[in-house]
Amino acid sequence: MLIPVLIGITLCIFLIMHMLPGDAISSMLGIEETPEARQRLEEQFGLDLPWYKQYWNWISRVLQGDFGNSLRTDKPILPEMLSRFKLTFELTLLAAAISWIIAIPLGIISALKRNTWVDGVVRVMSLIGVSVPNFALATLLILVLSLGFSYYPPVGYESFIENPAVNLQIMILPAFVLGAIMSGSVMRMTRSSILEVLRQDFIKAVRAKGASEKIVIFVHALKNGMIPIITLIGMQIGSLLGGTVVTEQIFSLPGLGQMVLTAINQRDYPVVQACIMFIAFIYVIVNLIVDILYTYIDPRISYK
Amino acid sequence: MKRKLSIIALLLAFAVLFTACGQKQPAQSAGESNGPAKEQILQYATDGEPAGLDPHKVPAAASIRIYGKIYNSLVDMDENGEFQPELSESWKQPDDVTYIFKLKQGVKFHNGREMTADDVKYSFERILNPDTAAVGRSYFSKVQSVEAVDKYTVKFSLSDPYAPFMAYMTSVYASIVPKEVVEEKGNLMQTACGTGPFMLKEWIPDNHVTLVKNPSYFMDGQPKLDGIVFHIMPDESSRLAALRTGKVHITKLSPQSIPLVKDNKDINIISYQSNEYSYLGFNMTIEPFNNKKVRQAISLAVNRPEIAQTIYGGNAVVSGPVPPSLKKWSIDAESTEMYQYNIEKAKQLLAEAGYPNGFETVITAGLYDDIRDTAQLLQKQLEAIGIKATIQNLESGQYVDAWKNKNHQMMAGRNGSGSDPDRALGFFFSTKGSANVWGYSNPEFDALTEEAKITVDETKRLELYKKAQEILIDDSPNLFIISPMDYYFTRTELKGFNPDTFNTEDFENVVIALLSK
Repeated sequence: MLIPVLIGITLCIFLIMHMLPGDAISSMLGIEETPEARQRLEEQFGLDLPWYKQYWNWISRVLQGDFGNSLRTDKPILPEMLSRFKLTFELTLLAAAISWIIAIPLGIISALKRNTWVDGVVRVMSLIGVSVPNFALATLLILVLSLGFSYYPPVGYESFIENPAVNLQIMILPAFVLGAIMSGSVMRMTRSSILEVLRQDFIKAVRAKGASEKIVIFVHALKNGMIPIITLIGMQIGSLLGGTVVTEQIFSLPGLGQMVLTAINQRDYPVVQACIMFIAFIYVIVNLIVDILYTYIDPRISYK
Repeated sequence: MKRKLSIIALLLAFAVLFTACGQKQPAQSAGESNGPAKEQILQYATDGEPAGLDPHKVPAAASIRIYGKIYNSLVDMDENGEFQPELSESWKQPDDVTYIFKLKQGVKFHNGREMTADDVKYSFERILNPDTAAVGRSYFSKVQSVEAVDKYTVKFSLSDPYAPFMAYMTSVYASIVPKEVVEEKGNLMQTACGTGPFMLKEWIPDNHVTLVKNPSYFMDGQPKLDGIVFHIMPDESSRLAALRTGKVHITKLSPQSIPLVKDNKDINIISYQSNEYSYLGFNMTIEPFNNKKVRQAISLAVNRPEIAQTIYGGNAVVSGPVPPSLKKWSIDAESTEMYQYNIEKAKQLLAEAGYPNGFETVITAGLYDDIRDTAQLLQKQLEAIGIKATIQNLESGQYVDAWKNKNHQMMAGRNGSGSDPDRALGFFFSTKGSANVWGYSNPEFDALTEEAKITVDETKRLELYKKAQEILIDDSPNLFIISPMDYYFTRTELKGFNPDTFNTEDFENVVIALLSK
């Protein structure tokens, strides 16, 4: 299934990129463009060929593991893409962790205290999380911290391995923004899922056998209510790994999303194609992992 | 209850974490400077990723900002538009078609090799070679041969007299590059080796570019900085926050940010007149814009000072075809007939042209926020003479397409006028000009610009361009509107930075002062 999905996606992206107004050469030369310079560059990049030949050249190289070089910077694409992905991966994990820490406990509390003021507060919080766009939260956070606390994270990215302290200082704000936004829907999902499980007969049975409320909630209710939560989180992680474009842009992080955005603006076809293909690949893998997790959480599910 | 408490504790922990982050690095306090700071590394927040560093091939501003500090040209232009030696020591012009440059001796490339006449010859041959697809190739199309007379003398022979030659020699696109580096690496997109004050150390895409001081720079005692780090920060509010908190020393921001930092004692706003002007261009191949009276009517109905005041907060001057920053080349457009705001006369001209009730049209705008705002104000101003315009805002790729395919009706935009009037006039408006997307053709104008191009005598050339500008304003293929100021926002500890129109980013004399606690 993976291969046809990837080929289909690359073909779509290829066609869309070529239908977009403007092209790599216009964006390179701007108003300095002359027909002569255009022709030279088209020949150099193979852009003078019909689109299906261009696509064929590209895909046959990719199948041999060669993603080619960027039209703009002439750098090999694959190493660049992998190094960008590391950042996006770290950001996603941090964001997911923050969202779980906020959302799952609050979701459970809200379910247990249904229709009390606590539930009301949590539901309003989750509504805010779902409705506030991440760029607004990010900009607001930067503004409040820089004006109120004279704080701005260190400029320039350093990886966790090189310098963990600086890395965490850089990553915590964007991770918080993404995590807070993610937590809204996770909170709602946890609440409704736990409520539904608590209504079921086996919970009555567990209570009847005299299990403590702790055991009822954490062992029985939470585990059984986890499937929809995991599905949601899986989808969220998948889309975050595909690039957290706006957040990366605002916090000046050199992640995968930023790379795709720059490439689209510069009409750097090989980079856009490679990145989109990679993102699609990640998305499929994350969904696969989620499917495998189902069988772990609920032994009744089996793929045999 | 216990659980509730633990949740509250967790939330409190988050709050503490952020407050702690905030206290870890307090912003430096403002104060009188006392001597230079120990670390002379300039932190520069730039808005875009450079698209390669080849000075002959990349016209993107984000790239020029960086490679402009790595390479030199033979000649420089000072703030008055006069030529000054750079890599050359002196030059002479034995006849109209020959230029002989004497090079400075002992100038070294960053790889340690001395720059000689052979490098100048190689660089210009590279620019002129069609395979390079050099940006500046058309600037030097009249160059017939470049000859290294001896180690420090270069002779340029032109096919015809060409007055803009010296101005184009000052361009970054005419930088001198070392042959062996180009041949070894294939091109100069990822690597850089020039003669300039700073050398490329590293470039981490979408993150930062680091330049270090060139210890053997040919200007004694320069640069004073040990290095520059360009942090790529596309988001304006992030750049502003980084500047406010002292994480960076300098950045460019839009004029909309001025009120936000006006009262901040730690931040200076440094402005200079840009060499750009905003315009409203007409597609003269279609009705009604092929009618001169219609264009003139629109010119009279546009209130230029109002645009300067409303959109730019007064930080812009009314501009003619050659913006005022080009000093002697620019004429006083404001006093011409077509710049006199006059709704009655505009209506009358429109009626004479056969449109007594105006017409409907489209203004294509894009690329810049100020241009989108200008388009809205123009829309409102044109209502007064019955022209109902809708605005079409285009993304950059679409805008470039509209520009190339000439399928616009009215187009609002901003153009740069370069350093020679040939660019502002011939390039955009002569019948064969490669940026003439208006369909404008006036034999008299063509003859004037063509003659000016080959007239080396400056007084005569000034006269020709003056006439050409008057014709242009009368024909109004474009309405030239205003020329905005450009801004740098800097920390007060940054000293010695004085940008002007032609040298916007010379950091040779910049120092970072120590702040008193």
